[in-house]
Amino acid sequence: MQSLTVKKLFELKQKDFTLTLLTKKKGLSKEIPTPELSRPGLAFAGFTDTYAYDRVQILGETEVKYLNSLEPSKRYDQIKGLFSQFDIPCFIVAKGLMPTKELVFLADEHDIPVLQSRMQTVDLMHGLTVFLQDWFAPSKSIHGTLVDVFGVGILITGSSGIGKSECALELISRGHRLISDDVVHIKKRMDVIIGEANKQLGHFMEIRGIGLIDVETMFGIRSIRMQKRIETQVELIPWRHNMDYERIGLKERFNRIIDIEIPIIYLPVSPGKSIAVIVEVIAMNHMLKVYGHNAAEVFNERVQKEIERKNRIRTYLESDKE
Amino acid sequence: MIKKVVTLTNKLGIHVRPASLISKTASKYRSSFIIRKDDMEINGKSVMGIMMLGAGQGTELELVFDGVDEDELMEEIVELFKDKFGEE
Repeated sequence: MQSLTVKKLFELKQKDFTLTLLTKKKGLSKEIPTPELSRPGLAFAGFTDTYAYDRVQILGETEVKYLNSLEPSKRYDQIKGLFSQFDIPCFIVAKGLMPTKELVFLADEHDIPVLQSRMQTVDLMHGLTVFLQDWFAPSKSIHGTLVDVFGVGILITGSSGIGKSECALELISRGHRLISDDVVHIKKRMDVIIGEANKQLGHFMEIRGIGLIDVETMFGIRSIRMQKRIETQVELIPWRHNMDYERIGLKERFNRIIDIEIPIIYLPVSPGKSIAVIVEVIAMNHMLKVYGHNAAEVFNERVQKEIERKNRIRTYLESDKE
Repeated sequence: MIKKVVTLTNKLGIHVRPASLISKTASKYRSSFIIRKDDMEINGKSVMGIMMLGAGQGTELELVFDGVDEDELMEEIVELFKDKFGEE
């Protein structure tokens, strides 16, 4: 995760949030340490016990009107007291309002940038939260290949050379879409894991024996995707005799990826086995489970019902002493 | 497990040729080989991964070797970096 300076926020979101800088450029190098926002109304009024000073400070109509209602000398002292006591990253004034000149002046003195946005306070706060949460979201890169199969994001993992890329290639050739091969950047958003493609480098794959191929030019735009939620992990493992593979599927196994549990399927690989078809089935099975149909459970229920039925008939016949 | 920090000294950084050189060398060994840069962690045996690092001159990389032949692997990989992959 890169650190976020006010300058970066300003450059990236100037258009989206209709931002203008009210103070001098000097303060822009200030760093924003947290993704949360703060409404500093109470702090201006003097209650600073629980003041979240290290957050982006949002000034709405309430704060601006409150400051305007104070006597100029008191206003000056109040703001000065706050600024000299706390290291505030920045202020953003909503609704295109103009804060009191004392605030801008003092902010300049303390190198605190003050930005102005023409957006409504609620919209601005919502937009900022989404942007900041995304920026500060826990992320990492993992070794694997991410493919969108029937709309289900499937992360294929396994040791080097086991055939992840080849499996993905077959899936692509069957009309599914590649997000990223070999290195997947993953990010936690709320309670889901999003896998991303490398935006600069595009969709390339390494196929042993051929070398690099460009998936986008070879299979067309419909074969790629920039990001996808990871819903299931498929770990390819070498086939071994006598190993205990999942045979029924009543019990699901999970793998923890940045605090989120993702169902994982260990798939033994052996020559002549079409892994791509199995992965398609895994995707469809996952969707069925999401919609409430668990094949293993259904089958189990049917077997139990059948046993019960036979038992009933037997007891009936046995009690029939005719 | 051995960890080693190296700095890229060749002018062009890790482009296709050095990447394939590194992955080919690493693939000869049984030990696992991971390269870390910032918050990225990639498999040193895959060309795509290594190139995705986008590592230029002066970049610091952390190399992690783990396995039965980690010493030999480490030596050969570090030698590649020292040699600037035979480049300028």
